[in-house]
Formats: sequence, C-alpha cells, structure tokens
Amino acid sequence: MFNDTVLKEIEGIKAKYPDRRSALLPSLYIAQREFGWLSREAMTCVARSLNLPEAVVRGTASFYSMYKHKPAGRHVIQLCTNISCMILGAGKLVDFLETRYGVPANGTSGDGRFSLVIMECIGACGTAPAMLVNTDFYDNLSEKRIEEILENYK
Amino acid sequence: MITLTINEKEITLDKPMSVLDAARKAGIKIPTLCHHEALKPYGGCRLCVVEVERMPKLQNSCTLMAADGMVVRTESEEISRTRRGILEFLLINHPLDCPYCDKAGECELQDLVNRYGPTTGRYTEEKRKVPESHKDHILARNMERCVVCTRCVRMCNDVQGASAISVIGRGNRSRVEPFSSESFNCEYCGNCLTVCPVGAILSRLYIHSFRPWQLDREVETVCPYCGVGCSLVVQVRDDSIKRVIPRMDLGVNRGLLCSRGRFGYEYIHSEDRLRTPLVRKDGTLQQATWSEALDIVAAKLTAVKNAEGGASIAGIASPRCTNEDNYVFQRFMRTACGTNNIDSVSRTGFAAAQKYFEDLLGQGITANLLDGLKNSETILVLGDDPAAVNPVLGLSIREAARRGAGVIVVGYAKGLDKFRTLQVIPRVFREAEVLEEVLTGVFSDRGVRGDMPYVDKGIRELSDRISGKKTGIEGIDETVKKLLQSASTSIVLGMDIVQRSDGHRALFAVAGLTYLLEARLYLLSGRPNEQGLIDAGCVPDMLPGGRPVNVPDFRGKFEAVWKAAVPDREGLTLLEIIEGAGKGNIKALYVMGDNPVRNIPHSSFVKEALRSLDFLVVQDIFLSETAEMADVVLPALGWTEKSGTYTNLERRIQLLRKAVETSSGMEDWRILSELSRRMGVPASYSGPEDVMRELARVSPLHRDLTYGEIAAGDALWPYHGEPLRGEMYEVPEMPDGAKDYNADFYLAVDKPLFHSGTLSRRSRALMKICPEATVRIGAAGAAKLGLKEGDKVRLSTPAGSCEAPVSVDGTIMDNRVFLSGNFTGSGVYDLMNFSIDKITKAPGTEGCEVKIEKIQGRG
Ligand code: SF4
Ligand code: SF4
Ligand code: SF4
Ligand code: FES
Ligand code: FES
Repeated sequence: MFNDTVLKEIEGIKAKYPDRRSALLPSLYIAQREFGWLSREAMTCVARSLNLPEAVVRGTASFYSMYKHKPAGRHVIQLCTNISCMILGAGKLVDFLETRYGVPANGTSGDGRFSLVIMECIGACGTAPAMLVNTDFYDNLSEKRIEEILENYK
Repeated sequence: MITLTINEKEITLDKPMSVLDAARKAGIKIPTLCHHEALKPYGGCRLCVVEVERMPKLQNSCTLMAADGMVVRTESEEISRTRRGILEFLLINHPLDCPYCDKAGECELQDLVNRYGPTTGRYTEEKRKVPESHKDHILARNMERCVVCTRCVRMCNDVQGASAISVIGRGNRSRVEPFSSESFNCEYCGNCLTVCPVGAILSRLYIHSFRPWQLDREVETVCPYCGVGCSLVVQVRDDSIKRVIPRMDLGVNRGLLCSRGRFGYEYIHSEDRLRTPLVRKDGTLQQATWSEALDIVAAKLTAVKNAEGGASIAGIASPRCTNEDNYVFQRFMRTACGTNNIDSVSRTGFAAAQKYFEDLLGQGITANLLDGLKNSETILVLGDDPAAVNPVLGLSIREAARRGAGVIVVGYAKGLDKFRTLQVIPRVFREAEVLEEVLTGVFSDRGVRGDMPYVDKGIRELSDRISGKKTGIEGIDETVKKLLQSASTSIVLGMDIVQRSDGHRALFAVAGLTYLLEARLYLLSGRPNEQGLIDAGCVPDMLPGGRPVNVPDFRGKFEAVWKAAVPDREGLTLLEIIEGAGKGNIKALYVMGDNPVRNIPHSSFVKEALRSLDFLVVQDIFLSETAEMADVVLPALGWTEKSGTYTNLERRIQLLRKAVETSSGMEDWRILSELSRRMGVPASYSGPEDVMRELARVSPLHRDLTYGEIAAGDALWPYHGEPLRGEMYEVPEMPDGAKDYNADFYLAVDKPLFHSGTLSRRSRALMKICPEATVRIGAAGAAKLGLKEGDKVRLSTPAGSCEAPVSVDGTIMDNRVFLSGNFTGSGVYDLMNFSIDKITKAPGTEGCEVKIEKIQGRG
C-alpha cells in the first residue's frame, strides 16, 4: 500500500472532483512514479485508495499508451511513427535506436537505460520526426541529433 | 402521447422510449448486437441503424428517443449496405470457428451474419491471436470471438455491481479480462454469460457436452437454494441437467441468477445420492426394500405411540421440501403419530423471527415484494450480508443505492461495502442496544402511532428505561436522522442477530422501527421454503395457515377433513425436541430433508441427544451426518425430480416442475402417505396438485388457491385468505450491566456466497469456486497472531476444535472470527454452545470464546 504522504497526495486529488473516478488518471501517474510502472500491485493500490474496483482501474489504465504497462528503463523514449514522421524516416530511427542503444521497439535496453515506446501522432507533424524523452520534447530528429540528445540521459 | 411512423405504420406511444423499443412494440424487427434489454442503451455496434426523415445520417435506433412526428424506415439499400459493412468488419478478426464453438446455434453474431451479412470477406491479412483461457475453474474465455459489445462488462458493473471484468487495451486489441487476466475471482453469478451474444465467455460446466438443438426439453422451475425463489429454466438431455439459465421475462429475478442457482445444480446427479432404503441391522445400515423399510417405521412409531404416547414422538420438517411435502408431514405427525412436536431447523433463525413479528404486528408483516426494495429511499441492513445469503435480493439493494437510496448497515455486510452510505458498528454481540437507541431516537421525534396500543406501550416503556443511557456509538444519531427524513424505508434483517440469547430485544427494536416508520420488513432466508414450511403448519403451535392449534374451533375443522384427532396442546420447538431427546422424554424422531447434526449449534450435544433416541428415521436425498445415525433411512426425490410449490420470502407461492426422470427415491409426501396408511390413518393423494387442493380447502390462508393461479404468477400474499391480527408479548427486560465481550477472539457464523451446506458440497462447480472452509479474521487479529493469508490454524472452544486455513479480511474491525457451517469436520456448529432465547426459542450463540493457534504456514 502507498505510504501516508502518497495517500495524502491522492486525497488532495480526490478533493478536486465530485466523482472519485475523475481522480483515476492522475492517481495512476502517481502510482507509476512510486512503482516505476503500472504493475498489478500499483493498480491495486490505486483501486484501494480510490475505493474503485481493480478491474475498472486496469481497464482504464490499459486504454492509454502514456502509462508504462511494463517495467521501464531509467528513461523512456516515446517516438512517433505516424504518417508525417514515417514519411520523414521515423522507421529508420527505430532501427537506429535498436542497433546503437540496444533498445527494441516497445522494449527496454539490456542495461536498463532506455525504454522505447512507439507512439501515435504527438502533434508535431510540421517538424517531424518527433519524440519525447521522459517529459522533454524533441523534433526535427536525425540519427546524429538523437545521439546528441541522448548524451544527456545516462 | 407520441405518434411516429415506422415503415409506413403509425405507432402511438404512451410513454417515452427509444425508436428501437417503439419498433419492437409494433412487431417490427431491427437487428441489434450491443443492445440488451437488461442493460442501458449503449450505441456501440451501429447494427440497429435506421433512416429518419430530415436527419442527414443513419441513426442508432437503440439510443435515439422516439419523437412526435418522426418518420422512420428500418430497411433500405443503404441500411443493408451499412449492416453488411459492419458485420464484415466484425468478422475480420473473428476466428469463424462455429463448427467447434459451443455458442453455434444460439449465437447472435451467427444469426446476424446469416441474415444480413456478406457471404465472403475481403480481408486476407493475419487475424489477431488471443489464446483461449481456461485458467478459471468455471468461466472459459475465448477472446478471439469477442465482438467487444461490452454487454458482459456493463452487466457486471451496472447490474451485478461486482465490477470484476473490463475491456483491456483498445482498438482491435481490445478484449475482456478480469483483473488478474486469469482467474475471475468474482461473485460467479454468471450473468455475464447470459448477455454475451457470442461464444466469448462460456461456462466450463457445459462446454463441449451438448449442442443447443440437441436438448430434449426445457423446464421452468424455481431455484433450490434460497428464499428469493428465482425462476430458472432447466435444460435437459438424456435425463441429465445440462444447463440452468434464467429468462429475462420470468420470475422475481428477471434474468439474473447467483452462483448457487446457476452453477449449483450438479448435486442432483451426485454419486452420493441415496438409491434404496437402508435399515440398521446388527449395528450397520443395510439395503432394504421399500415395503420392508416402511413396515418397520410404521410398526415402530405405532409401538412408541401406544407405549409412551404421541408426545414422545417428534418430527423435524424441511425448508428444502415443498409445501406439499411439509403439509403432509405435519398431517402425518399430528394424526398418525399424535404429536404437535413439529419444528424445523428454521427455528434457529427465520421461523423464530417470523413468529415474533407476526405475534406482535400481525400476520403478513414480513410479506413484502422485492420491488419495494428497489424503490426505497432508505434501506436499513442488519444481521447478515444480503448479497451472500440472498444474492439476488442483494442486487435490489445495490440497485437502490445506485438510484441514490441511503443504505445503512448495522454491523457488517461485505457485499454492500461499495454501496452503503453509512455503517454503524455495534459492540460485539450487542446489536440490540444500538437498535434500541435508534428506536428511542425515532420515537422521541415521532411519538407513538396509536393504532397498536400494546406496541406503543412497549416502545414508551423501553424508551423510559434506557433514556439518558447513550452508547456513544458513532453513526446512531445520523441513522435516526436519515430514518426520520425517509419517505419510504425498508428493513432487511439477517438471522445472525436472532441467534443471541437475548435476540428478542433486537427483534422488538426492529418491530418497533417497522411500526413507527411504516417500513417494509424483509427477513433474509437462506433456504428456499422457510416461509412455506411455516404456512404449511410445520410449527409446534400452528396448524396450516397459521391457525393456533390450541383453539378448539380451528382444530375441529382440520380434524373433520383429516378424519382423525389432533392433539390440543402446543408441541415442542426444535431445541426443546433435541433437549427432550437427550433427557429421554422424546423416544422417536422423524427427520425429513434436513441435517440437524450439522445445522444446529453444538453438534456433539445434538449427536448425543440423537443417540439417546429409541428410534430415528431420516428421509433425505443424501446420507447426511444425521442419516448415518438413523435406524431407517428413506431415499427421497430431489429438486427437478418432482413437482410441487415453494413459498419465497416475499410470500409468493411458485411452482416447481419435474424435469428429470430418476429411479432413486420417492416423493417425500408419498412416503408419509404410505406410512399413514400403514398406521391406520389413511392420507392418500393422487399427486402434489391433489395435496395443494386439500391445503387450499383447509387452510384459511391458501383458500381456493389453484396450481393454475400459481403457475400464472398470481399467488401473492395474502392469496385469498384472511390474515390474523397480532397479540402482545412482554416488552423485554433490559439486563443490568450488559456483558462486555473483550476476550481475544470470539467465534461467529459465516454465511458465504458460494455454499449452503449439504447440497452445495455435492456440486462440483461450487466446490471448485470454494473448496474448503476458511476462517475469516480481521487484519488486527491476524497481525496479533502473526497470521498470513492461507496459514493453517487450529480453533478450539469448550465444545470442540477444528483446523482450517485463514483468510485475512480487512473489513472485519472487531474480535470475531468467522467460520461457516458448510463443511464436514470444520463446521462452525461443531465448536459452538448455545443457550436458548426464552422468548424466541432460537439458540443464542454469542460469546463463544475461541483459541486460535497457528499449526502450519502456507505450503
Ligand atoms: S460471473 Fe458475475 S461477477 Fe463474475 S465477471 Fe461475470 S458478471 Fe461479473
Ligand atoms: S465477451 Fe461477449 S459480451 Fe463481453 S464484450 Fe465480448 S462479445 Fe460482448
Ligand atoms: S438468489 Fe437465491 S433463489 Fe436466486 S439463484 Fe441465488 S440461491 Fe437461487
Ligand atoms: S505524425 Fe508524428 S507527430 Fe504527427
Ligand atoms: S444495438 Fe444499437 S448500436 Fe448496438
């Protein structure tokens, strides 16, 4: 179960909404922060603290790709491969990430440094290809630029 | 008034409804897939599209409300093309394994494609693969077949309220899973099965065992498990029950069932069924012929009657047997055996409470329709968990809560944890003081009602006596406030509160509240025919129809029909019978369809008493613990093997129909009729309907009732008869300085959802869901003893000891540990003493201190 500080944080979120279900998405982010990813245990904790059924929590969580549904590396790369990004070579960048850093699409590198999530459009079509590293946004990507960027994420 | 036109047909509606419902009402068929009559409109599949004039696009008829002047068309080239397109999309990922799928023949997708769909598909790419899951004991999931209509999920969330499953993932990867993705670990009501249109969720009890078109017959009958009396349809092939299903338009349950009703039917085909009569010879039970066994019983009972008098004979009737069986039972006991010592195991709860309320408030006070619960503004729940004892009644409470009703739980009701609005936790075993305080709270605001002076007087005296002595328990004032504000109140009473040596105190308080608030009172009933047994006269003080046996006028009428004398003194109640046997006052005991050794507290005491008898006859479908001790055992017919009627807790009489042919036993009433004849007091009937005809003639309550009316669903209290008015009891004395229960642990009776005892233990499915007894203990108690989930413990009390694994339950806040009475070797009653409540004659089982030792960690 969550510790008291986390529980208080969740209580704070609950207080903002008339329906406790509305607190579910933000609480899942908290669980993810605490557990690293949305394990069963993490979802059970959310269910208990919001008094929601576990199945409802899991059903909701599983709908969104922004949550980590598997244990993730220290840094999560979310790379878009939708139309614009695809045309401008996102597919190659996926291969590059795998050969250069050993991180397969929707997997985690052996050294636990990176996870790669293949995203749907992230709204940067004009400056595609684009990605997020954790919560930082980068666009106009090339192999060289990716190498420079990832230097900052050890 | 709304008038609209559908397919050139003018339709007038007197209340608002969807275009789909309007069309159906007019006999116009519109195909649907995600829509289900038990669920709210969803609008997910779009198969129900129609054209509406002046609306630009096709509309979902299931979510579109009919409006005045609307012009609707349900078939057109465009509509057909759309439907065909939708179905083609649905089949993209569908495995098309109909030849192997159990749903084939009753599959909505198959029927729709057959009627509206394309004959070939254009999709040639790979289909999604989701392996079939057999990880659950009861439910098989094949998610390749799922069309994501969400009917199952909506059923589980919005109706059952269990919220055990949800759609996982999205897009074409969507599938339905329980939280664990393997075992469902849910309430196992199987209501998701009812609504799944395809073969995506199936019951493992019947997969691969038959095709829907191979069934020999379908028979409508009533569930054998509890007092709700759900209607169900038994599907039979080769005289074996293949499946039990509900029907949307049938009975009090309208399409819903619980785990026991749906999956608990296998006991009827159990290997352990008794096949022939057994007679004790040289100390062991040996097979005998019917005439041999019946002759022995008749001779022995006659001998005891002649030597010691009828008062030395007693009978225990059965809340599992039909009204007809029970009626003939009491006739047999009263006339052939000459005794009023007739009672049943119901005296440990239902019969005791029912008698108390009727004596005080008048006959019929507990006869309230289940629909009343759904429409209540406030529901007060006491004594047991309705969602476990009477699951489908529990659903009505959940529904009321969803509609905004206040649900106040005094004590614990786990199945309502997510639905209650207030919980009041009394001190252990002292529920009465809370209820008395609530009653005086209501009284001090409302005053008396005036129409029952003796009840008013009782309430006033009680109130004077306890005024100023507040318990300080949280929630009492709030409860009083809520009750005073409520325009329509229901009280749901579980029998745990009755099992106190001062249980009548709680009953008086409940009666007072019922009276002052003009509330509807529901008694939870864990057996299917507790009310029927009482109405049929299987109680020591009343003849059929609730007529006092000690009033000569009433007695005379029955004697005239039965052509035999009826003893004029009230007989002994259940526990008095057992005690009488122990003391040697009762020499012969006749037990029909029950197992007193397991179902009465203090098993060793009960066994000892039965051992002192000269003669014990047990008539049952299994060799129960009690039957093992008998001198003669007579095999009876079970549920679905015979016809008859049950009376449910609303006091609705319902028909049970025979569905399978068997050679194993004889109807209970017929056995008794055979014995009567042999004992020189003939009581012969041509069949169960003939028995009902007599009951309808002699019982003022059942007057003129026919099987025709019962089958039509018209047999609702007060039938045609005249109920009797109540009379007054002494208002209970308040004991000075009520006892505190602060030992480490006390034992209490658990009533689990998945079991009922003798029958459920022989049902494979229920045994798979819940294979053994567990000891439920609160988190604090577990921590104190260093116990973890699954650790094995030994429980010991002065009455006995047993071993079982623990299950830690965070919702238990006091020092009680719960054990059920369903399993041999670890029944709660093996470990409990009792002391009789002098007024209700129910066993008080409170205050049973228990020692708990860990004997082994989880393996
Ligand atoms: S069996 Fe009942 S509780 Fe279990 S998933 Fe199905 S509907 Fe829900
Ligand atoms: S399992 Fe059945 S009821 Fe549930 S979503 Fe799939 S097709 Fe519909
Ligand atoms: S609620 Fe009672 S009557 Fe209904 S199915 Fe369940 S056990 Fe049978
Ligand atoms: S397609 Fe990649 S950001 Fe829109
Ligand atoms: S039945 Fe109307 S949208 Fe599915």
